[in-house]
Amino acid sequence: MNSLAEFLAHAITLEDESAHRFDELADALEVHHNGDVVELFRKMAHYSRLHLADARKRAEGMDLPHIAPWDYKWPGAESPETIEVFDAHYKMTPFHALTAALDSEKRGQAFYADVAETAKDATLRALAAEFAAEEGDHVNLLQSWLARTPPPDDHWSEDMDPPAAVD
Amino acid sequence: MDAKPTAPGTGSLKAQDYKSDLKPVWCPGCGDFAVLSAITKALAELQVPREDAAVVSGIGCSSRIPAYTSVYGFHSIHGRALPIATGLKAARPDLTVFCAGGDGDGFSIGGNHFIHACRRNVDLTYIVMDNEVYGMTKGQASPTTEPDWTGSKLTPQGPGVAPFQPLEIALSAGANFIARGFSGDPNFVVRLIVEAVRHPGFSLVQVLSPCVTFRPEQRAWKETTHADWAPEAASTDRREAFLRLLDDDGFTTGVLYKGHNPVFAPPHPSSANLADLEKGFAL
Repeated sequence: MNSLAEFLAHAITLEDESAHRFDELADALEVHHNGDVVELFRKMAHYSRLHLADARKRAEGMDLPHIAPWDYKWPGAESPETIEVFDAHYKMTPFHALTAALDSEKRGQAFYADVAETAKDATLRALAAEFAAEEGDHVNLLQSWLARTPPPDDHWSEDMDPPAAVD
Repeated sequence: MDAKPTAPGTGSLKAQDYKSDLKPVWCPGCGDFAVLSAITKALAELQVPREDAAVVSGIGCSSRIPAYTSVYGFHSIHGRALPIATGLKAARPDLTVFCAGGDGDGFSIGGNHFIHACRRNVDLTYIVMDNEVYGMTKGQASPTTEPDWTGSKLTPQGPGVAPFQPLEIALSAGANFIARGFSGDPNFVVRLIVEAVRHPGFSLVQVLSPCVTFRPEQRAWKETTHADWAPEAASTDRREAFLRLLDDDGFTTGVLYKGHNPVFAPPHPSSANLADLEKGFAL
């Protein structure tokens, strides 16, 4: 990561895509009346949007670079805090949702921590460390929620009449 | 750059601007979510005005996609999306035309149209979300299903038929741009779609897009796909592209072929007004 503007461009997209994915999954699970998981994903989307607002505020007055979606310097195929699409299931339980959300927050934290460690610019390193610490708070919070959430039984996904798209 | 910093981008239209207010009813976990996102990101990257783009589809889970975008759309009939998209592009060459659907709609019900759309080589982009199953009707074997897939009660011993090979057929029939992506790598799919739109003629983008409800084992595609057809090293030679396909395991992603076949476009795009058209129907 070479500049503060490039870093903030990444941070804005990271938080924006994370919020969108959480909302998208919440919308999809609403169709299947999976209320507990919907509530959890909405909450996670809210947290991502708070971070998004913060990143945008810090970028005010800056000329952010245009980065094509395939040119971002993500460690994986997508922005790191985005829950993988395939991790969702219409019968997923809060345990699954918390596990997936925790994984995404850990990836976000690791991304920021890596920038904090490797960037040459001191201001950039400090900001990335701050973002990593905030993600760390989310990680701790999710870990405590997960510790209080019972895992599902082995047959949680069984369904004798799986759904078709709803018209 | 906007006065208020938003997601990066030089243009004023963002990916979200190309999404409609309608919420997709796909199963949670469906790969088609990522393809929808890739299409809207590609439109933002290309900065196509919303009134200058159209998405045409047939029938099936993935064919619901026009409703989820904010550009013009036509959710048409089973297997007939390509003729409609072809007609639209011929009549309105100024539009950026996408055709979208699934493997059943495109390669079985619309299989013949697929061959001739490749042959005709009209300038449009066909995105096929291939999950190797009929998901909307609860999980029957499709034309791209493996012969030994025993997941459906209709084919308990497996369909026993060699799968349809869309890329080989597209290359044989004359498609000008042929690529394959994976919905688990959506930003790469964006690149494939952007390149497909920019390349003249008929472009096929096959996107391996897991059906997590009826083919949950397809989640493992993220381990089996490999991006070995680098877009910058796409073959422009059909013979070489065929040779690449001989070594393909069905999970290679990237751009296989960028050809220079002549693009079909009517010599005089229709400029008739409604009155002129009505004269043609007068008894």
